[in-house]
Amino acid sequence: MKRMWVTIAAAGLVGVLLLVLAKSFGTNPRAVPFMMAGQPAPAFVVKNLQNGQRVSMEDFKGRPLVINFWASWCGPCKTEHPYLEWGARQFGDQVQFIGVIFEDTEENAQRYLSQHGTSFPQMLDPLSRMAVDYGCSGVPETYFVDANGIIVDKHLGPIDPQALTAQVRNLLARGNPQAANTGGAK
Amino acid sequence: MNATLGYAFVLGGLAFAVFGAVVGFVGGLRHSQTGYTWVLRSVIGFFVCMLMANAVMVFALVTHDFSVSYVAQVGSRATPLLFTVVSLWSALEGSILFWGLILGCYLLAFGLAHRKEPPVAMQLAVGTMLAVGVFFAFLIAGPANPFHAVSPVPLDGPGPNPLLQNHLLMVIHPPMLYLGYVGMTVPFGVAVAALIRGELSPTFMAPLRKWTLIAWAFLSVGIILGAWWAYAVLGWGGYWAWDPVENASFLPWLTATAFVHSTMVQERKGMLKVWTVALALASFILTLLGTFMTRSGVFNSVHSFTQSDIGPTFLVFIGILLVFSIALLSSRAHLLAPERPLDAPVSRETAILVNNLMLVAITFTVLLGTLFPLISEALRDKRISVGEPYFNRMSVPGFLVVLFLMGVGPALPWGRPTAATIKKQLMLPALIGVGVVVVTLLLGFRGGYAVASFGLAGFALTVTLRELLLPAKVRMTEHGERPWTAVVRSAQRARRRFGGYLVHLAVIMIAVAVSASSSYVTKTTVTLKDGESSKFGRYELTMRGFTEGQEPHRSYLAAKLDVKTPDGEVRQALPRMNFYERSTDPIGTPWVRETAREDLYISLMAFSQAENTASFNVWVFPLVSWIWWSIPLILLGSAIAAWPTRKKATATVSAAASPPVSPQASRGAA
Amino acid sequence: MIAGLLLSLLLSQTQHAPQFAGSQPLEPALEARAQALGKQLRCAVCQGLSISDSPASMARAQLDTVRALVTEGKTDQEIKDYFVARYGDWALLAPPAHGFNWVVWLGPLAMVLIGVAFIALMFKKGSPTAPVAETAPAPPADDTDDPYLKAVRAELKR
Repeated sequence: MKRMWVTIAAAGLVGVLLLVLAKSFGTNPRAVPFMMAGQPAPAFVVKNLQNGQRVSMEDFKGRPLVINFWASWCGPCKTEHPYLEWGARQFGDQVQFIGVIFEDTEENAQRYLSQHGTSFPQMLDPLSRMAVDYGCSGVPETYFVDANGIIVDKHLGPIDPQALTAQVRNLLARGNPQAANTGGAK
Repeated sequence: MNATLGYAFVLGGLAFAVFGAVVGFVGGLRHSQTGYTWVLRSVIGFFVCMLMANAVMVFALVTHDFSVSYVAQVGSRATPLLFTVVSLWSALEGSILFWGLILGCYLLAFGLAHRKEPPVAMQLAVGTMLAVGVFFAFLIAGPANPFHAVSPVPLDGPGPNPLLQNHLLMVIHPPMLYLGYVGMTVPFGVAVAALIRGELSPTFMAPLRKWTLIAWAFLSVGIILGAWWAYAVLGWGGYWAWDPVENASFLPWLTATAFVHSTMVQERKGMLKVWTVALALASFILTLLGTFMTRSGVFNSVHSFTQSDIGPTFLVFIGILLVFSIALLSSRAHLLAPERPLDAPVSRETAILVNNLMLVAITFTVLLGTLFPLISEALRDKRISVGEPYFNRMSVPGFLVVLFLMGVGPALPWGRPTAATIKKQLMLPALIGVGVVVVTLLLGFRGGYAVASFGLAGFALTVTLRELLLPAKVRMTEHGERPWTAVVRSAQRARRRFGGYLVHLAVIMIAVAVSASSSYVTKTTVTLKDGESSKFGRYELTMRGFTEGQEPHRSYLAAKLDVKTPDGEVRQALPRMNFYERSTDPIGTPWVRETAREDLYISLMAFSQAENTASFNVWVFPLVSWIWWSIPLILLGSAIAAWPTRKKATATVSAAASPPVSPQASRGAA
Repeated sequence: MIAGLLLSLLLSQTQHAPQFAGSQPLEPALEARAQALGKQLRCAVCQGLSISDSPASMARAQLDTVRALVTEGKTDQEIKDYFVARYGDWALLAPPAHGFNWVVWLGPLAMVLIGVAFIALMFKKGSPTAPVAETAPAPPADDTDDPYLKAVRAELKR
């Protein structure tokens, strides 16, 4: 009798183990939880790489933001760079594009931008405080902040035109007065 | 051409394994004598096929035959010859193929060593091992086939993973680990045969012990070499991160260690039979679980170099094995039953029992901690992490208990020792242990666990040395033998005992080194301009610019540092970053100055050639190299213990110590 | 193309920035606190390494943030909460002891207790009325109650 219970308990444990392992297939073990969606975007103070001016969150008040974190040493960042350029030209009058340089030196970033070109402001983030404040989990990452200063979503890894368009449309939809009211009512 | 030939050999191996497994099982269950020859022949066939399949792959790699899918995946004309050969096990498909070869070697060795033994018993064991061979041959032939023909044939390949071609240790670490992993197949086969036959006679127990010990030794060395590799290559200043894959190799090691000890109780007292066999089964299943963890892509780990869909196949196999093992254990338990009660709470068998409890509890902790993120996500959809702080907090007390028992167990006799014996045996070691604690405290060392571990190490070391050398002393004083002769003869007379205590010495070494290097490590981050100096501990570092270079498969940039060592010598340190074509991010190689007392470990973190500055992480690790230098002792001890014994020699000693004390009172191997 | 992207993504998992960036340690007392905290926090790009240990640039950024928060006078709990607010409980290398997580903390303890009970039962089963007599003949030398040495001597006498 006692042995039977031991057997049943062992079989149960094995069942749970196999179930858990089987359920784990297909999940990405590298996905990092992102808790900032729906939260107010943290205030930031950074330095404009192009003109050396101090830039803060206040300067963009009331405009939806697309914030891209990148580095000159990051391969995938090069892949997405043309799409961001395209996005800034396409949507630049409705949303503000900002690039934030992650863990990089000023001269490397300058060289990278002179090679690849840029049509939106690029910021130096001393000691990467802003990246961590926003809950970055590596570069490249692109954040979408609505007109009320709420982080709507972020895109992990290199962005493509489709994803960028969809995210910006979503931002703009939230940006209209009605959506702003419901968003602000919380 | 190579692809077809290699695949043919894989199919041949599969056929031999299926045939041998069927003949072995049928013959074993029908108590037929005749099948064994055929089982042994299929073992040879399986071995030859696996050997040839691997040879074809190595040939394809060396000749850059990119029409073979695996070569196209990991080969590259720029890779040096050595790393080209080694890339046989640098990715998933190749490593499973290599696994097949090692399995073939083990099967051949087992078959040859036991060809004269009772066929009915042995064909079941070999049949089971061949059944495992069926699974792996199936994997190689199907889900993990490295011999796909590629068309059109690429001109060049990407080369193996940069991390894996960074260091010579990568050449010996994986084979050692595989020898340990695959070696557990042999005890599994023997244990299954014993369970099916419902007996634990010496026919089964002797090979079970011996082959577990062999696999255990390789696994130990593999794990330590892996730690050494992580330390020398990854550059984060550590050797053990409780990474899922490190844990995976540690789990079977823990259960195999428990087995090596419980088998002594089983042998001498006829107790713990089911338990001992269960440990042998568990060790094997845990090696498969470990491989699953490395290869399925389910775990987040530095080692998940390769991800694939062989995961489900593996999981099904693990499931079958678990169900089979539980069913077998539960249906045969009564046949192995005679469990004798324990005689006394303070005795060697109790010490071993508690040691087993602690080792299994640590196994459970590590397994639970490793799987818990998956459990949490599967059951609650909540992602959490279980890392070093958890594992340290939960397992260190357990390890300290094991260290303590390592002193207590060998000091106590079997059975029911008198209070006087206990006192006499433990008094001196305990005093030395306390003395060590007092001295370390007086020297200014703090930290409860570290100081406690030094004290316990002193205690265990005293006992081990006494047990190791007393027989030799008796020979010298009472028989007038020379010291060396006395030691060698006493070792020859009781190999398992002598070898076991040598391994204990190695483990004490590791315990002290781990606790010193983790408790008293010092670390700093410095940024130096060219010509600038900085003092760290007893060292002085001076920046001397950069040097760059080109190697066939990579280019590198190294910072030049003059390191002034405590003895006034100036040495040039070259911590570097390697740039591989395939990898966008560089991979560092730290520079290490190793001494018996401490390691100076410098890792290049960042640099700016424009400003001529570089940032370094610098560590000083006390005693850390003692961890790796325990390897020869482990190998020596295991070899002495597992070496084929002339049966007469040990029998005399055991028999001479017959009754009054206990049935077989010799203090055998530990 | 897609394979290439995946590959570069895979390899960028351990991002070591070769470029020089910040990271000056604080004064010793504060630095020790930052390092100790860093040991408990999981680096966001690495695979189970802490932000104190990892050489990845993300870890460096996160450790710099810990340093900044320590300098700002935040308590250890506030700093951990800061990371949990961004990365969830995932950021903590030791799972917080609440709710379901108790399983991982108490499971091993339960296992040890069950094991101890099991061993205790093994004593009880054996009747204490049948002590095995330990016959210890008069000791000629002080280590004769060691049966192994006795065996060694016995063999030598032959």
